[in-house]
Amino acid sequence: MKELTLDAIRPGLEGEIPATIATCAPDGTPNCAYLSQVEYVDPAHVALSWQFFNKTRENVLANPVACLLVVDSRAIGRYRLVIRYLRTETSGPLFERMKARLAGIASHTGMSGVFKLRGSDVYRVESIERVPGPVLPPPPERRNLLAAVRDCARKIGAVTDLQGLLDTALACIAENFSIDHAIVLLRDAGGERLYTVASRGYPDSGVGSEIPLGHGVVGVAARERTPIRIGFAQAEYAYGRAVRETALREGLALETEIPLPGLAESRSQLAVPIEAFGRLIGVLFVEAAEDLRFGYDDEDALVAVAGQLGTSIHVMQSAAEPEEEVLAPGAGAPAPAGPPLAVRHFAENDSIFLGGDYLIKGVAGSIFHALVSDYLATGRTEFSNKELRLDPRAKLPDLSDNLEARLILLSRRLDERDAGVRIEKSGRGRFRLCVSRRLELVEAGA
Amino acid sequence: MADKPLIDEELAAFLQGGVSVHVASRGPTNVPNLVRGIGCRVSADRRQVTAFVLASQCGALLAEIAMNGAIAFVGSLPSTHRTVQLKGTDARTGAPLPGDEALVARQRAALVEDLVSMGYPPGMPRALLGGDWSEAVAITFTPSAAFVQTPGPGAGAPLGGKR
Repeated sequence: MKELTLDAIRPGLEGEIPATIATCAPDGTPNCAYLSQVEYVDPAHVALSWQFFNKTRENVLANPVACLLVVDSRAIGRYRLVIRYLRTETSGPLFERMKARLAGIASHTGMSGVFKLRGSDVYRVESIERVPGPVLPPPPERRNLLAAVRDCARKIGAVTDLQGLLDTALACIAENFSIDHAIVLLRDAGGERLYTVASRGYPDSGVGSEIPLGHGVVGVAARERTPIRIGFAQAEYAYGRAVRETALREGLALETEIPLPGLAESRSQLAVPIEAFGRLIGVLFVEAAEDLRFGYDDEDALVAVAGQLGTSIHVMQSAAEPEEEVLAPGAGAPAPAGPPLAVRHFAENDSIFLGGDYLIKGVAGSIFHALVSDYLATGRTEFSNKELRLDPRAKLPDLSDNLEARLILLSRRLDERDAGVRIEKSGRGRFRLCVSRRLELVEAGA
Repeated sequence: MADKPLIDEELAAFLQGGVSVHVASRGPTNVPNLVRGIGCRVSADRRQVTAFVLASQCGALLAEIAMNGAIAFVGSLPSTHRTVQLKGTDARTGAPLPGDEALVARQRAALVEDLVSMGYPPGMPRALLGGDWSEAVAITFTPSAAFVQTPGPGAGAPLGGKR
């Protein structure tokens, strides 16, 4: 008979039917206990949650061989594993993954405040045995995830600019994976926060909203550079208001005017770091209103998509600015008339208000300030990414910062405000300020 | 109080009212073994507990119990998390008694109902707890220690210490 692999029985590790463990004291007394969580580490290792100083813990420290019983709830596949305790991790990616997942499990089982992860006990899997018994026909797969990943790779591989990349990735996640709510966040060059650059499936895009590194599902995924997956509604890792309030208490300057997008009834959440060449680029976040929506396979699929997304973003970012195309001038915009729109600029944090409405702050705010200043001084409407990148007024934190992403963010915020000024792409590496109202720049708070 | 059985009437009723059962053994080199049971019986004097398991699911567990008699037994009600572990050193395997099949069927129905009340689709616990009675084996032991194992600060405490 073909030997079973840990990969093949991963659905049994989801814990919908709790796993049990048997250990043995040095005097030969067996012990049996329920486990809150079994985490797949790699094809040869699992990690179990260590929450209490109990007999199981005492036994494995003295006699490291244990027996694990897991059940795949979809088809009632029963498996008996012989495992050997190796070590306990109390920080780092594995620990944080398990801690977050446990928060969901605790909340789901009414054990919030009781379940607290002390450590991730890593075990080597020595054998896997299928236990016979009545089974169920496995439910039909929602999608063939490999086919979905392949199609996604083809579509993402065909795009040539960042906006197209973000749009395509979010469309793929919706269409190929049937995931209705997704957000792409990019890491600020300062490295301590992520900002929303695109989203899909929310009434308000939330573009421009920020999450600090290390906070909530998204922030922890970014800090630890590991996917964080939670299968049940819980409060601890909610990435909304509470997260930001904590961050603000800690004194982190954060975008507070733009609310984060998010499902009020979020039950399943998965945050996958977007990386390239060893660098964290951002986070891909998805959520759903049902329990246990995302399994190990969904996580794998989105990790693959995020990998390609990361490489593409990195390449687009580091490619030399394209040769500037010579463009036919846009249709000569009529000189706007009527009462002016006050563009208020607060130098302190580069926040911009259009009339009385908040637009954006930070790098995107300083970029917009520079554009409007030039427009009012010279009537200029055409700009290139290259000159902007070198313009000290743009206040880019460093050359590796994603200018294109800042422009996408600014463009989206202007569209959403619909106040009579917006920017549009006018060619490769070029864009245009489109003004349909008279503008008046007001230096506020100076 | 040495004469008093470890299992009081309330616990006997709890264990026989339809709980999720697991049985652990150990091999000659202290490698543990584990199987899910399908039900249990507490003797009239409450000094003996019998767990029912399906032979085909046991691997080496039945042989190990026959060899050394060491057993850990866990009964748990999923909806309340109430969990009790019993230990014994004199476990032996045998055939079920007349009446055991009906007892186990009642327990199974109650446990399925408990799981369905938690939101599990009925087919799932039915399959999980199902099996062919003709291969049922009775494992009988005298509980020599009992522990509360309901998750929380009291987990692991010996039974009888007032909570």
